[in-house]
Amino acid sequence: MKRDTFVIVAFVFILGTILTACSSEILTGPKNQVILTLWHNYGGQLKDTMDEMIDKFNETVGAKEGIIISVTSISGSDTLHDKLIMAANGEPGAPSLPDITTAYPKTALILAQKRLLCDLNEQFTQEELSAYVPGFLQEGKFLGDGLYVFPIAKSTEALFVNTTIFDRFANETGVSIDDLKTFEGIFHTAALYYDWTDRQTPDIPNDGKMFFMADSLYNFSLIGCKQLGTEFIRSGTVDLTTPRARKVWESYYRSAVRGHAAIFDGYATDLAKTGDIVCSIGSTAGISFFSPTVTYSDNTSEPAELAVLPYPTFEEGKRIALQRGGGMCVIRSNQENERSAGIFLKWFTSPENNLRFVSSAGYLPVTAEAFGEIMTREMDSIKEQNIKNMLAASRTMQRDYEFCVAPLFEEVDQIQDLYEKRFKETAARSREAYLNLLKSQKPEDAYSIASTGVFDEFKDAF
Amino acid sequence: MKNMVSPQRRKRIGLIKQELMKTGTLGIPMGPRLFLLLVILVFTIITGAVALMLATGTFTAGLTQSKMIVENELLHASQEISQRYGQISQQSVEFSKAVSDAIEKELKDLGIPVSNLHRHPEVLEEILSRQYDRALLTLQISKSSGAFLILDATVNPALDNAQNSRAGLYLKNMEPNIISSSTPTIIVFRGFPSIGRRNYLSLHAQWQMEFDIENAPYYHTPMAAAASNPGLPLARLYYWCSPFTLQGTGEQVMLCSVPLIDSTGTVFGVCGFEISDMLFKLSHMPERSIYSRLFCALSPMYRNTLAFDRSLFAGGYSAKTVLRNNGILEITDNDMPFHSYSQNGVSLFLGLHAPIKLYPEGSAFSHENWAAAIMVPQEDIVAIISRLNLLLFSSLALLAIIGIIASFILSRKFLKPIARGLAIIKSTDLEQAPKTKVPEIDNLIEHLKSHNKELYRKAMKGKLSISLLDEFVENIKTLSPSERTVFDLYAEGYTPKEAAKKLFVSINTIKTHNKRIYMKLNVASREELLLYISMLKEIGKDI
Repeated sequence: MKRDTFVIVAFVFILGTILTACSSEILTGPKNQVILTLWHNYGGQLKDTMDEMIDKFNETVGAKEGIIISVTSISGSDTLHDKLIMAANGEPGAPSLPDITTAYPKTALILAQKRLLCDLNEQFTQEELSAYVPGFLQEGKFLGDGLYVFPIAKSTEALFVNTTIFDRFANETGVSIDDLKTFEGIFHTAALYYDWTDRQTPDIPNDGKMFFMADSLYNFSLIGCKQLGTEFIRSGTVDLTTPRARKVWESYYRSAVRGHAAIFDGYATDLAKTGDIVCSIGSTAGISFFSPTVTYSDNTSEPAELAVLPYPTFEEGKRIALQRGGGMCVIRSNQENERSAGIFLKWFTSPENNLRFVSSAGYLPVTAEAFGEIMTREMDSIKEQNIKNMLAASRTMQRDYEFCVAPLFEEVDQIQDLYEKRFKETAARSREAYLNLLKSQKPEDAYSIASTGVFDEFKDAF
Repeated sequence: MKNMVSPQRRKRIGLIKQELMKTGTLGIPMGPRLFLLLVILVFTIITGAVALMLATGTFTAGLTQSKMIVENELLHASQEISQRYGQISQQSVEFSKAVSDAIEKELKDLGIPVSNLHRHPEVLEEILSRQYDRALLTLQISKSSGAFLILDATVNPALDNAQNSRAGLYLKNMEPNIISSSTPTIIVFRGFPSIGRRNYLSLHAQWQMEFDIENAPYYHTPMAAAASNPGLPLARLYYWCSPFTLQGTGEQVMLCSVPLIDSTGTVFGVCGFEISDMLFKLSHMPERSIYSRLFCALSPMYRNTLAFDRSLFAGGYSAKTVLRNNGILEITDNDMPFHSYSQNGVSLFLGLHAPIKLYPEGSAFSHENWAAAIMVPQEDIVAIISRLNLLLFSSLALLAIIGIIASFILSRKFLKPIARGLAIIKSTDLEQAPKTKVPEIDNLIEHLKSHNKELYRKAMKGKLSISLLDEFVENIKTLSPSERTVFDLYAEGYTPKEAAKKLFVSINTIKTHNKRIYMKLNVASREELLLYISMLKEIGKDI
């Protein structure tokens, strides 16, 4: 009898447990249904690719695993950085942090220090991680060995040349595109271009046009110093005390003051759209922001051919370029959300999906497998010539260049902003003085007077 | 077929038949009888509960709850959409008045009639630059994602495509949901690059200097309405252009466009605000705690269809799969709590919609109907209601199983003392019988004891002599073997039913034996027979 009672009680208990589980599932909706909000910085033409990828995930793996990715912000990388920091600081008017966001390591570092990021080592096994390019993974590791930025697409910096304008200029002056292999060659060509354009309007003196722009003066200085064998960042700040660092700084400053290179609060692609510059250095990921046409002030336009060349080097420098490109960070929340975010990252960076994304966007894939033959095949199928050119340049650089990552330290964000801001302000002030001096002085003398003591003042500010 | 039945099976069938016949003749024992009774009671209660649930709509409670959720979300969304679109309509009208007045004044100062603006492209950059501050301010106040103004003039009338090119300014706020930000979120989508550079604004990746109006209802429609309705106030002329993909981008936008009209009634352009798909999504996202794929849509409505290909969406579902087909959803009201929204006869969504009044009475566009809808993919609602009903049915099944088990235990427990009591009664020694703790049975045993004593007393009183007992013993010898077997069983305490069962004969056979035994032994009843046996046992006589 006792045995019977035990069996009955056990049976009722099991049945009750099953039914309770059923009811709790009903109250929380379909099994494992997780909605993850995503912020990313893939605007412009990349937005379509990103939308397609997310739709595909939601319809396939997402539908199977009960995960829905919902994009709630598409911003430029600077705005995204600003938004994330605002949200992390809980500033008034700031939106809530998403579940997943794209971010550069400098942004991720701030978030990780506030313990807002999930260590992605927890979502990937060592075997899974071994499929990724080790250098790309390393860039996302900090605060010990925590993996806070997961690589999804990498880029480097390259030289973009509007060959429609350049060829016109080259045909008349005899310069060659090979002159643009070195920074010295670029600045020299920029001076020639200024003179050439100045001569187009003989009645207006000193109205030559700019030739060159560096999207990031910080990156230009960082890599320039590396190429020349010195460090630009020492002890967590800018170090301009070495002659080589001065050489790098002055090369751009001189060109900017004399009107050959641009000092502009924005991306070079803006100036390229209106034909105000001919070539620029910037992220290969910015390729989609180059307009296929140049529009002039009278609304006439012409098609713009774009050449993508490997990153220039200083004449005595090594072939070194910057490894760029953020990754995705997962905001710390609950186990289910973090696990779901891990599933999305694995899907997004699987060789097949990763290549589809990077090839349409001008990025480099992040898995070793995707770098090989698959990439060659994928390159052949790309229709857009600009992206094809860019990937070809990237591959050349992968073969011939040494890559370095920007140093990450606590105040990197402030130092970078400060350096850019001061460089532009200093160059703009000197340019104004130079233009005034030109009224009474020869260009060389005017520059000499306008630039006297400027470097020392600039250097001492750091 | 008959031949195919094996002898073993035939034998088994025979046994079952025999058992059934026995049961038929003997009746259902008390234990199963009580168990069945209780089981019937349990099922009656459960049937009653099911009837009550049906009557109170418990089985459709999930549907009712879902409807409440959708209704609340629809009320919330339609109020918010009406309010936001109403505000932007009003702000667009104010913007148009201010821009029209300012440009008319500037042109007057330059000695150019507004109607001749297109003949003076040289003034366009200056005129538009002067409107920059106003456009920026109204954009920031309006909570929209963009502000634009388009003049009926082009910078270079000599160009091939000049008839479709119009000068203007289009500022886009890439982050309309951020209140303050240190990085500029406003960029120039259309307009002179000098305006952007002077004000430290970037150019959009798909920037063009002028608007291409070849296929731009946001430009032509309000201008045509203003031209054909002279004297109609601006508040009756604004036009909400249904969502379209902004040229060169993957972004869907909806524009509120108001004509620019000078004091003489000359229509010289349009201006207004933009609501981007992202702004709509972030502003009108429904609460998705139960239905994660619940979404809100703002769609043009024609009779019983919604134009999904010209809609804005907010929520956890990508309507792109629908858009890949023809993008038109048919509405079916089939007396269910929800409307069904189908495409090519296939029901895709369940939900509700409500009209959104984008235009006031007397507007040139008041014939255009819009609706806000809250929908869920049909399979999501079906899944959640099925699971709710599965839970109910599982609970009822559990209840039935528990009831059956309880009936089994209770019937066994209830009958145990009764069976013990009957065993006592069957025994010949009632004097030594223990108490069963069932009062009725204990009373019966007491009654039988006294009855036996009475019989004994009567027998003694009737001078029942030893010779009578001897005669009884002698008569026993006259019993046939079968009668003797039955008699022996009675002597051992068997009841007639038990004897029948033991001997594998019917109760009628036993009854026939009984008659003969009573006749041969000269007794009138079984009680008298048992009394003789008891007395013989008492005097130690062998039977």
